[in-house]
Amino acid sequence: MGVISRVFALGFVLAFIATACTGGGTAAPSPTAAASASTSTRPRLELSTYQYALQTKGKIRIGTQEDNTPFSVKNPATGKWDGFDVAYGREIAKAIFGPSDDPDKFIEYVPVTSATRIPSLTDNKADVIIKTFTINDDRKKQIDFTDVYFRTGQRILVKKDNTSIKEAADLAGKTVCAQRGSTSEQNISTATSNAARLLLLDSYPACLLALQQGQADAVSTDETILFGLAKQDANTKIVGKYFSTELYGIGVKKSVGGDRTGFVDFLNRAQVAMITSGAWATLYEKYISPVSFDKKRTPDD
Amino acid sequence: MPGGIALEFPQLYFTGLWLTIQISVLGLISAVILGTLVAVMRVSPIAPLRWIGAAYVEFFRNTPLVVQLFFLFLGLPLIGLRFSTDTFENIFRAAAIGMGLYHGAYVAEVVRGGLLGVDRGQIEAARSLGLSYPQMLRYVQLPQTFRSVIPPLGNIGIALVKNTSLASTIGVAELLYAAEIVESRTFRAEEAFIAATLLYLALTIPLGIVVNALERRMLVVR
Repeated sequence: MGVISRVFALGFVLAFIATACTGGGTAAPSPTAAASASTSTRPRLELSTYQYALQTKGKIRIGTQEDNTPFSVKNPATGKWDGFDVAYGREIAKAIFGPSDDPDKFIEYVPVTSATRIPSLTDNKADVIIKTFTINDDRKKQIDFTDVYFRTGQRILVKKDNTSIKEAADLAGKTVCAQRGSTSEQNISTATSNAARLLLLDSYPACLLALQQGQADAVSTDETILFGLAKQDANTKIVGKYFSTELYGIGVKKSVGGDRTGFVDFLNRAQVAMITSGAWATLYEKYISPVSFDKKRTPDD
Repeated sequence: MPGGIALEFPQLYFTGLWLTIQISVLGLISAVILGTLVAVMRVSPIAPLRWIGAAYVEFFRNTPLVVQLFFLFLGLPLIGLRFSTDTFENIFRAAAIGMGLYHGAYVAEVVRGGLLGVDRGQIEAARSLGLSYPQMLRYVQLPQTFRSVIPPLGNIGIALVKNTSLASTIGVAELLYAAEIVESRTFRAEEAFIAATLLYLALTIPLGIVVNALERRMLVVR
């Protein structure tokens, strides 16, 4: 009995090791094959940098959200990602891996929520977070941000027939929906001196549903996200002045022992190139203009 | 001190803990009542009752609790049903009812097993002494069942306490919610979640001890 179970145990261990080896073995050649095919077009990067390490690995892990129109959406039917943040990520992939018709082959998408953005960087689950990520001092203690790649502000979404909520101060005593763990939530508390009743959910589509059903009086977050919600439901309107300025940056893990050398600088240079070439303006026009009805050439316009 | 952060945010953590306790207790009571009723339906001689019971168990056991909670919170209002006109009362009740419905399905299966485990001879003896079917259930079959199902019921109870954390997804400010808010305010993720973990343990470990004690006291020597 003892012998048999030991033989079985050994078999399991061997099988496990074999799978582990083949797993590693099959994973390794594919990036090399992909890389060698496009060696000529690959940008030359400095050897000590993180972007070079990514180029060698053949993949960049981009953390973004699955339901954050118009910034990032994963099409539930096709599994294809789209949106401003997603397209921005593809531009970064091109800057690392060279021009490509299908940058997605270099990208591994990591779904995140507002609350998991920082942990997915600090736990090294994603290389960059591109997800309407507001730069602030508290967050800067945890992670690094690139320069501002998008500028917006917080406003309020209410039902069309609502006349009692016009500005942030009117939210006092009202049920306001926002995303749990976001700066929007904290801005509402500040603007109303903690007098708003916060209904904190995981996503804004859920907030919109709560608003439609009258379970929330208002939804408040960055205007650009509200644009997406207002587009979905014609019975809503966006009211009030900006009561916060939100500057979005790309989140990167802080370099510890040189493990992210030169990465933030690289991303900043990539953005300058995108603005100069007009690629940034094209992204804005494609994803943001349909809901905002304006045009911008740079984030600071 | 591990978990010390809870004392820095007592409002969040302790109201969170209190909500967790309320949802657990209400959920547990309704799960046991509902589960027992359904179990009796499932062993009853009336076929339609057995079908209804089976449908209930299969539905609630085989769909995710998060989905059920979302349905109770944002799905029912679509057909005009709401547990309260106040949003926060509504999500609290949705959470408690969701816990009861979901875990009731597990309780039903455990109790049904217990009912079927009662010696056939006892049931036949009770019937031949002139007890009606309901009397037999009440005085013979159910009392013996409850003794035998205490350990598995305890497991369900502990799972229920932990599953109340899912109520945070529909906005209930329970313990996990408190930890998430504190994490987003302070960025001290480890501390925030260790504090919540310790508070969950403060509920589940005593519950386990009570169940074990009950089990010893009610042990049937066969």
